[in-house]
Amino acid sequence: MKKEKIGKRAITYALFALLISVLLMSAGENEDIKAKDICLKSASVVEFNDIKLSVTLRIYNKDGAERVRKLSSVTKKYGEEGKMLLRFDQPADYKGTTMLIYDYETKSDDIWIYLPSLRKSRRIISSEKGKSFMGSEFSNSDMSKPSLNDFTYKILGSENIEGHDCWKIETIPNEKAVAEEYGFFKKISLIDKETFLCYKFETFDIKGVLIKTALLKQYRQISEYKYMAMTMEMKNEQNGRRSVINIDNYSEGVSLTESEFSPSKLEWLSTCKL
Amino acid sequence: MNSCFAIRYRWAIIILTAVIVVASIVPITRIKINPDMESYFPDKMESKRNSDKIEMVFGDQEQIVIILETDDVLKTSTLTRIKDLSDHFKEISGFSNVRSIYDITSIKGENGEITSCSLIAYPPTTDSEIEKLRNDIKSNENIYGSIISKDFRYTVIILNTKDKTSDKEYIGLIKETLNLLPGRENIYINGVPFLRSEASEKIGNDIILLLPIGLIIMMLFLWISFRDTIGVLLPFSVVIFSIVFSMALIPLLGWKLSIIGVLIPIMMIAIANNYGVHFISRYQELCSAKPDSSIAEIVKECLKFLLKPVIFCGLTTIAGVLGLVLHILTPASQMGVVVSIGIAFALLLSITYVPSLLSVLKKKNEYKSFNSKRKGALFSVLRDTSRLVTSKPHRVIFIFLAFLFLSAAGILWVKIAPDSNRILPGDHSYNKSINIADKYLGGSKIINVLVEGDIKDPVLLRKIENMERELEQISFVGSVTSVNTIIKEISKAMNNPEDSLYNRIPDTREAVSQYLELYNMNGNPEELENFTDFDYTKALIRIQFKANTIGEINLILKKIDEAKTNSEMTILTGGYCLVEKNMSETIVSGQYYSLIFAVTAIFILLTVIFGSIVAGVMGTIPLLYAVLVTFGLMGWIGMELNIVTALISSISIGLGVDFTIHLFWRLKKELSAGMEYHEAILTSVTTTGRGIAINALSVMIGFSVLFFSEFPLIRSFAFLIILSLLLCLICALILIPSLCIIIKPEFLKKDKT
Repeated sequence: MKKEKIGKRAITYALFALLISVLLMSAGENEDIKAKDICLKSASVVEFNDIKLSVTLRIYNKDGAERVRKLSSVTKKYGEEGKMLLRFDQPADYKGTTMLIYDYETKSDDIWIYLPSLRKSRRIISSEKGKSFMGSEFSNSDMSKPSLNDFTYKILGSENIEGHDCWKIETIPNEKAVAEEYGFFKKISLIDKETFLCYKFETFDIKGVLIKTALLKQYRQISEYKYMAMTMEMKNEQNGRRSVINIDNYSEGVSLTESEFSPSKLEWLSTCKL
Repeated sequence: MNSCFAIRYRWAIIILTAVIVVASIVPITRIKINPDMESYFPDKMESKRNSDKIEMVFGDQEQIVIILETDDVLKTSTLTRIKDLSDHFKEISGFSNVRSIYDITSIKGENGEITSCSLIAYPPTTDSEIEKLRNDIKSNENIYGSIISKDFRYTVIILNTKDKTSDKEYIGLIKETLNLLPGRENIYINGVPFLRSEASEKIGNDIILLLPIGLIIMMLFLWISFRDTIGVLLPFSVVIFSIVFSMALIPLLGWKLSIIGVLIPIMMIAIANNYGVHFISRYQELCSAKPDSSIAEIVKECLKFLLKPVIFCGLTTIAGVLGLVLHILTPASQMGVVVSIGIAFALLLSITYVPSLLSVLKKKNEYKSFNSKRKGALFSVLRDTSRLVTSKPHRVIFIFLAFLFLSAAGILWVKIAPDSNRILPGDHSYNKSINIADKYLGGSKIINVLVEGDIKDPVLLRKIENMERELEQISFVGSVTSVNTIIKEISKAMNNPEDSLYNRIPDTREAVSQYLELYNMNGNPEELENFTDFDYTKALIRIQFKANTIGEINLILKKIDEAKTNSEMTILTGGYCLVEKNMSETIVSGQYYSLIFAVTAIFILLTVIFGSIVAGVMGTIPLLYAVLVTFGLMGWIGMELNIVTALISSISIGLGVDFTIHLFWRLKKELSAGMEYHEAILTSVTTTGRGIAINALSVMIGFSVLFFSEFPLIRSFAFLIILSLLLCLICALILIPSLCIIIKPEFLKKDKT
């Protein structure tokens, strides 16, 4: 009789433990989904379908020497496909150097470059998004929307940055190949709980050593749900180099037609009024 | 200093000696090893200054190169191992940069497209993938024959270190990683940090091995000579005390133990017992001859008889060794100071501690070594020699002169070591690695050329290109890389082969700027900064080559110099191989300074001791003879002058002069006693000559221990110093007596010295 009681109790405990485990696991899964949603919203809140920008890019080496580049860019979204034009305005040596980027959701971007000194354009084929953006510490992946399914997300907790109560979210590439493509093995972002704006992110290498720290400042509200960081700073913690992007001017609405966002028009695009 | 002093204060002397020796042990525990050859040379050296300036702009240029050898490095298993090793090295903090075949960015242009990607991301698995990769490598002139050998048997992983102080740790990490990720490939390592690490280990091993062997051999020699415990222990204790005292001086003076420092204890073994041996020999002789004399009387008589010659011999040896102080090599100069003070200490112990201790010990009246009636083979040789000298002095001198001219002609062929590679044995994996790099991977030596100016200016870039073309024509230059290599890579990507701009420096500054920006976007900005600085005001040209002689390095420098003159470029040349070259060349000048100082000092001392310039001249003849013949023979047998062999002249001069002093001393005594020259020479060579020969033998045996060294150049030093001492001995016993017969110098006849 006593044995029977003990057996029943054991089964009850085991079932209870199983229930708790399932609940915990599903809670963990929910947390992951929540983290991914936060990142998705964070990416959307700064994504523009139709915008024109004038920016200054400053690149500093570890000794503080400075290189200054002035760029114009126009971005327009046609369905799922984003088209972006980037043009050097200064210094004089680079003036007119133009890049055309077709940003796809599900495949590698198409990129063309036009060099005015040769009056030639070339299509650039590269799958490595971790490469330097315009020779700065920003990478091409920092400038485009990531493929969210390539990563696993996790909320690590909360952290306050300059008065903003933020989620601390860890992003881990699902595969080594993805990590090598994007140039990091872990990313920790601080995303405002209210506005979903990202104020800071850090990337880490395979050893878990900090590679870069990005600070996004002076967010300006452009429309009801859209914001733009007027200053973005990226510091390479391993070589001491630093790059800063300042938005000097912005306006919504792009006058270029879809057909003008074309590789065949690059020579014209390098000099036309954007 | 007199006999009374050593006996009156004997206990004080013995206790003070013990205190000094015990106190010296403390600093010895703090000795640090410095295997960095570059630090052996003064900072004012031009190549060192230039290399430092280049490193300030382009960062530390020091590398560790790991070479993998197998029948085909493109096999999946080998490429997998390279990836694993490369990834693992990247995971270890400490290396500032890791480069293997996986870190090569390939920028190619075809059909209006530029493909920018890693040459290889993952190991290929199928034969077709492997062959595609092979073709890609063959078409990439930046890596074909430098990162991968043209026969695909060798490839490299290059590691840049962050700081120079922890070589041993770096090498430990590398060896640990190689063990952790084993494979069938043979591994060879080179690079200055590895050389320093291996040399450092061997310096320690050498001291641990050579010191006991040297001491045992010396103990055996003393036993054979004296057949008496006291006769062994007293001079032996002087040797031990002198070694302890001189080694303690190294940390006390704020210095570190270098590869040359290995010689210090061995030199002390060879030299420090000389004076004590003379004392014991005389002591035993007197004990046997005067059994009724008291111990105090015998000690007093020994001191009276030996004080002057022993002090003179000590002073001349110190003068010779002090010649090293003027040497340009910092460790050689430091060794001159340490050994000179060590010899002075040994000399002091021999005239204070040895008689003091003897005076408190129990006296023996019989010594086996002095009761033997057999004169031995040495006596016969000396007797025959002295007869020959006295009967045919002119013929002897003629033979010596003929041998001198024949041997010394070899000086014309004496080679100077172009690098430090031969520090380690030829079959050491370091040297195997150097040979592989030289034969299959473009060379193991690098010269960096810093060009100043507007680096985006096509005119300057063309001047650099012309220089590169000139350098590439030299057969032993493996590769020349610069910012032009990158510009041309982009020009090939942006233009079709039939275009005039294909593989060419563009004509405008704007185009150069845009090419470089394009590279920044598609390549690696940091890679570009290996060749040009952030402001585009300085460029680095890297010349990879192999060279076995200084002449070959000079040829490259001549081409650079011509380009500089013709194009009026502002240029600085640097690199470790130039520092090594500079080192080797300064060794020759260092040798001259040391030699001139030692010969002058000994000439003055002999002139003062014997009160005659003729004595000074005659006394230096054997030394110069030995130096000229030794260097001549080095040329004939192909031995190189290097940082260690360059020290022989000062050391052999300092030691070799003792033999002549002893001979002069005895000749003087015999001539003063009324003997004629013939008779005096016969007597001196057969009596004092025996002592001189035994003394020389003991020093040579002391140095012979160096044959057990792990460093080939220390073994060469042993051979040369023994040869040189043998020549000094032969000169002292044959040439000098022959000269005396002919010249009959007055100074030997003077009553007083």
